[in-house]
Amino acid sequence: MRFFDPHIHMTCRTTNDLEAMAAAGIRAVIEPAFWGGQPRTRVGSFVDYFSSLIGWERFRASQFGIAHYCTIGLNSKEANDRSLAKDVLELIPRYAHKEGVVAIGEIGFDEMTEAEEYAYQWQLEFAAENEMVVMVHSPHRDKKRGIVKSIEMAQKAGVPMERLVIDHNNEETVEDTLSSGAWAAFTIYPHTKMCSDRMVAVVEKYGPERIIVDSSADWGISNPLSVPETGALMKERGIPAEHIELTTWQNALDAYAQSGQIDVEALLAPAVIDQTKTFLESSVLRGQDPVIAE
Amino acid sequence: MLDKVRNWLRENLMEQGPAFDAAALEWYDTAAAEIAAGVSDTRFGSLISMASRKARPRPAELSEAALERAAEILEGWNPFDWTVLEMARVGLILARTDLQEASSSAAFKSALEYADMGELCALYRSMAFMPRAQDYVWQAAEGCRSNMSDVFRAIACDNPFPAAHFDDVAWRSLAIKALFSGAPLWRVHGLDGRLGEQLAIVALDLADERRSASRPVQPELWLCLGTNGGERALESMKLELLGANPGGRSAAAYGLARAGRSDLLRELREKEKDPGVLNAMDRALAGQHSQIEFRTLHCQPH
Repeated sequence: MRFFDPHIHMTCRTTNDLEAMAAAGIRAVIEPAFWGGQPRTRVGSFVDYFSSLIGWERFRASQFGIAHYCTIGLNSKEANDRSLAKDVLELIPRYAHKEGVVAIGEIGFDEMTEAEEYAYQWQLEFAAENEMVVMVHSPHRDKKRGIVKSIEMAQKAGVPMERLVIDHNNEETVEDTLSSGAWAAFTIYPHTKMCSDRMVAVVEKYGPERIIVDSSADWGISNPLSVPETGALMKERGIPAEHIELTTWQNALDAYAQSGQIDVEALLAPAVIDQTKTFLESSVLRGQDPVIAE
Repeated sequence: MLDKVRNWLRENLMEQGPAFDAAALEWYDTAAAEIAAGVSDTRFGSLISMASRKARPRPAELSEAALERAAEILEGWNPFDWTVLEMARVGLILARTDLQEASSSAAFKSALEYADMGELCALYRSMAFMPRAQDYVWQAAEGCRSNMSDVFRAIACDNPFPAAHFDDVAWRSLAIKALFSGAPLWRVHGLDGRLGEQLAIVALDLADERRSASRPVQPELWLCLGTNGGERALESMKLELLGANPGGRSAAAYGLARAGRSDLLRELREKEKDPGVLNAMDRALAGQHSQIEFRTLHCQPH
């Protein structure tokens, strides 16, 4: 079975993860721009980070037959550093139109400060003007109100609801998200946010329409195989195969292919892994035998 | 030359059928005109990015005649594996009318700073056409330092820029990195014209390293010697010719001929049984041992 993990921070993951992800059937990922675990203090750090999302990380994933897309945006935490935020927002137009940039994201609220609101509003307007998809990070605390506010602001900024993905939903927020017309993404984390068990219950209750499963795996305790593992649990619990396909592949593809930045034809072709093409002295292989497989 | 390249790109873009349709061509012409009229560096970068919305990074279909014409326009330029998107992007880069001025180098540098992988390849592929070549030398060597193999190949292979402008250190690094990374060294334009003692020493050290690690020596390594390396080179090639790897033996046979030691090669030919290696030996003895002969011997490292 094939899987699409539309929210995973590959820059934090090892080649062992990439290998395991490919073996588990993950064919495509989206890496949203986010914060680095500690605040960046210079705009140059963002330049290099954004460049790595459209360069090195895409290349690294391709070595394992995984198509890598990304989103560009200023995250809510670092939006609070106002002078830095201003410089980072100026960078957004330089990166938003790059190949494989499927959305503006992950943006939204953390503490719901004025500075966060300013950066979110700015990026919503940019996305609306440029007809881009928006990926919204919903806050850990005060989540329900944060999501309602995020949706209202997106509506006011002129972002069509079919181009809005609200992430990190839970049982308490899913109805608000779905009733707005936006896509409802769920992050499966081992200890926080959602677990696979609860995810299955959500799909049982709400069906597969506009529901997306992702891992948001990063530098914290997280699981890059969350999507296939949740798919397996759905199967075990008797969820129809079509619903599993929708929530772990097709919905993500439909949502983000609206960007025009996913070459669907190429993605649907069998994955070609040819590590010989890239056997570099300091490459991901480090002297291992290259894998050539179809 | 610039006008010829511009015309070649546009003419061949028009031959790409659905991969570059009328709408794409219209966008391209408009964007090129905008660039020619003068744009900010940011806008220049954006237009190069936005080409991906009109053309996919699919291989371009180029006729033999088109490739021959390319080589006539600029010796060493071989765009046989360019993508349609790369053609469009290089066309946009060359649409600038200030290529003789420093402002174009600054815009180019800015585009590189924010480039994604596909854009990097197009930018590196366009360097060979730039009138202010010296402005790009350091950056071209940066391309060779990339870990992204497509980026490395865009500057290193089928591109006349490095042979014309790299200093010896950058040139040697390029050649040896091609061997390390499995990039086709025989496609490094001008290699035969820039061999030397230092390159031979590094290559022979690499051969020793490979053997110590019980790994086969890359057949193209023998390309790096020419008439250099002295007795050590001859011994190393003889050792290869006594080995079990037919690709390595064929390559070392060419190597010996390149070193001017047809006498040694004739002796070793007497003991050879493999028809493929014998064929290579005969070609080498007939004087056919330029870097192009290594095209069938290129293989990935183990």
